Amino acid sequence: MRVVIADDSVLLREGLARVLSDGGFEVVAQAANADELRQAVRRFKPDIAIVDVRMPPTHTDEGARAAVEIRAEQPDVAVLVLSQVIEAAHAMRLFSERPEGFGYLLKDRVLEIDDFLEAVRRVGRGGTAIDPEVIGQLVGRRRENDPLEELTPREREVLELMAQGLSNRGICEKLFISPKTVETHVNSIFGKLGLMPATDEHRRVLAVLAYLRS
Amino acid sequence: MTERATRITLALLAVAGVVLGVLAYQVQVDNLPEPLTTPLRSMATVVAAWSFLAAGLIAWLRRPGNRLGPLMVATCFALLARQFRYSHDSLEFTVFFLVGELGYVLYTHVALAYPSGRVTDRLEKTFLAVAYTVALAFPLAILLTYDATERLRYFDPFLRESLLLVSGDADLVGQLQDAYGVIAYGVLASAFVLLVVRKLMRATPRARRVLAPLLLAAVVAALWALLNGTLTFAESPPGITYDLFWWQIIGLTALPMALLAGLLRARLARVHVGELVVHLEGSSAGELRDELARALEDPTLEVAFWLPERREFVSSDGDPFEVPDDGPRRAVTRLEQDGEPLAVLVHDPTLREEPKLVEGVAAAARLALQNARLHAEVRAQLEKVKESRTRIVTAADEERRRIERDIHDGAQQRLVALALELRSAQRRLGEDLDPEFEGLLASAADELQVAVEELRELAQGIHPGILVQGGLAAALESLAGRSPIPVSVDATQERFSPEIEATAYFVASEGLANVAKHAGATRASIRATHAGELLVVEISDDGVGGAAAQNGSGLRGLTDRVEALGGRLRVESPAGSGTRITGEIPCAS
Repeated sequence: MRVVIADDSVLLREGLARVLSDGGFEVVAQAANADELRQAVRRFKPDIAIVDVRMPPTHTDEGARAAVEIRAEQPDVAVLVLSQVIEAAHAMRLFSERPEGFGYLLKDRVLEIDDFLEAVRRVGRGGTAIDPEVIGQLVGRRRENDPLEELTPREREVLELMAQGLSNRGICEKLFISPKTVETHVNSIFGKLGLMPATDEHRRVLAVLAYLRS
Repeated sequence: MTERATRITLALLAVAGVVLGVLAYQVQVDNLPEPLTTPLRSMATVVAAWSFLAAGLIAWLRRPGNRLGPLMVATCFALLARQFRYSHDSLEFTVFFLVGELGYVLYTHVALAYPSGRVTDRLEKTFLAVAYTVALAFPLAILLTYDATERLRYFDPFLRESLLLVSGDADLVGQLQDAYGVIAYGVLASAFVLLVVRKLMRATPRARRVLAPLLLAAVVAALWALLNGTLTFAESPPGITYDLFWWQIIGLTALPMALLAGLLRARLARVHVGELVVHLEGSSAGELRDELARALEDPTLEVAFWLPERREFVSSDGDPFEVPDDGPRRAVTRLEQDGEPLAVLVHDPTLREEPKLVEGVAAAARLALQNARLHAEVRAQLEKVKESRTRIVTAADEERRRIERDIHDGAQQRLVALALELRSAQRRLGEDLDPEFEGLLASAADELQVAVEELRELAQGIHPGILVQGGLAAALESLAGRSPIPVSVDATQERFSPEIEATAYFVASEGLANVAKHAGATRASIRATHAGELLVVEISDDGVGGAAAQNGSGLRGLTDRVEALGGRLRVESPAGSGTRITGEIPCAS
């Protein structure tokens, strides 16, 4: 899988490149700012671009804006956005109703190397990776007469992993439970929340996130 | 003269005038048998003279510097003295016949000298010189030639000898009396009436009002000329003579009172200065002029204000103002403060006669202007303080943003990179490392991860990065998401300047913190709306209320913050029905 990394910190860029190379990825280019990123993406057409939200010159949201552009112009390039802070609203704005090939993770997640590599792989293949903290914020948002209250703790865990973009298999591995059990939980959750069961993983993420954001 | 001496003098004059009046009455009653006169008419002549005395004494007392008072007193004495010519006694006859006509000349003198007490016009001066000469020369000439063979004209009851007789000539006496009648009652009286009319026509509008009583003087003079002319030339006085007499007496009595009233009007006006000060409070430049014009009774008044920064005078409309020279057409009164010009009043020159009034009005105007200037200064300073407050808040925000950015992009980045190095080293060497060393490596990376998290939270507290990245709406949603109770958010998606967004955000976050701490609420809501030129942030809950009592320092600091941007913070918290915190922040863009 071919990767472009965009981060203004050389140290972090190099560190990421090493971790990714060790994990079997091919790092085709490194960019220090949004312009370099755009050029690199155009030139190398990577499977995925890993982009820091804040980059020079203003250190506000150059990376995020570049990510939105890339997703619009080159839909086949997946984008994984790394942010120093997690804001559900911001993440959802970048998500923009298109879960395919999109990831939004807290920067610290790179330190959980296995999870991180798995997320990169998932997003690169057209999947979704939403930071647990974003999901936590969405789930934690209290509603009146909240149906989430009816979920068992296990169902809740499954719901959060679904929302993060994990497949049934990913959930199995994460929770050390059988695929059959996962399926039972998923059906139960959809029933309790009054959602139409979705076979497609993308649709499932969309449906769950839409529910959580409502 | 000291004031005490003046008062004694005036008292003596008053006594003398009264005594002389009684004697003058007595002389007429004793010597003029009816129908030449009656006690009533004799009394009337005395009262007319006393009217001059009373008015003269009051004018003298109130306006010691004005010669009008002494002139009126002199007129009284002259008018009374005239009556002694009817005495049987030759000496009294001679003396008082000689000076008897002066009373009428003094009367015209008083009229022409009103209101200043001085006659400055050349023509008027000439008139008076001629009149005085005529009034003394003709009686003298008559006395020199009067041999007491025939009664003199005009109420002469009997023959008396002139002590000044040189050579008697009855015909000449007759001719002299005719000539005097023509000159005094015809020429001079007419000239006087014309002079009064001329004076009125040449006067400024304000002066005309002051001079109005002179019309009365002119009427009296005309009546007097008619009366004396009739008495001098008619074979026998017609019936109308008595009506004329009474009209003349009424006019004669009223005139000094009218003159006194005109003279003292300035004093009344000065009473209005007190009211003026009250009226001036809070009046604009234009109103100031109108108030001053009213107090000075001068509709032509112009007021110009000194602009220190432009070093010129401007009118109340702000137009440049050319200050005229102080001259006969316009008088200029300058107001200064600490040697620096403040304003200038350009007014009717007759106001020079009332320096006290002008002084009083000027003092009131100075007060008002100083007041206005102080107001302006305070306003300017307040403006500066407000600006600096805004600058402080903005600078503090900027600084918070900078610190947050430095943490994220500096320390945090480095720590993450370092931890990543450790993690990847751990992975690469994992199998070759001895377990103890691997444990050390792992715990170092874990510690670094914790440090990164703490640092992130610290930076977030200093300044929420989401504000810059996602704007107010996103930041408020994120805030609501972290709240322990359900919070609904209804926020405008508009972006505002950083300090406005930050202030609105802190209002909401402090409001929610308050809800969490004190309110005992089960739900809360945040609204942020752009209403007109205000960004209104409203945080309400369904808690116990009464938040004003426990108004913590957080809310107070918040109030300062909101006010620094020119806004307002309201806390409504009636006990038992929840709390509503409303921040209104001006956001005109």
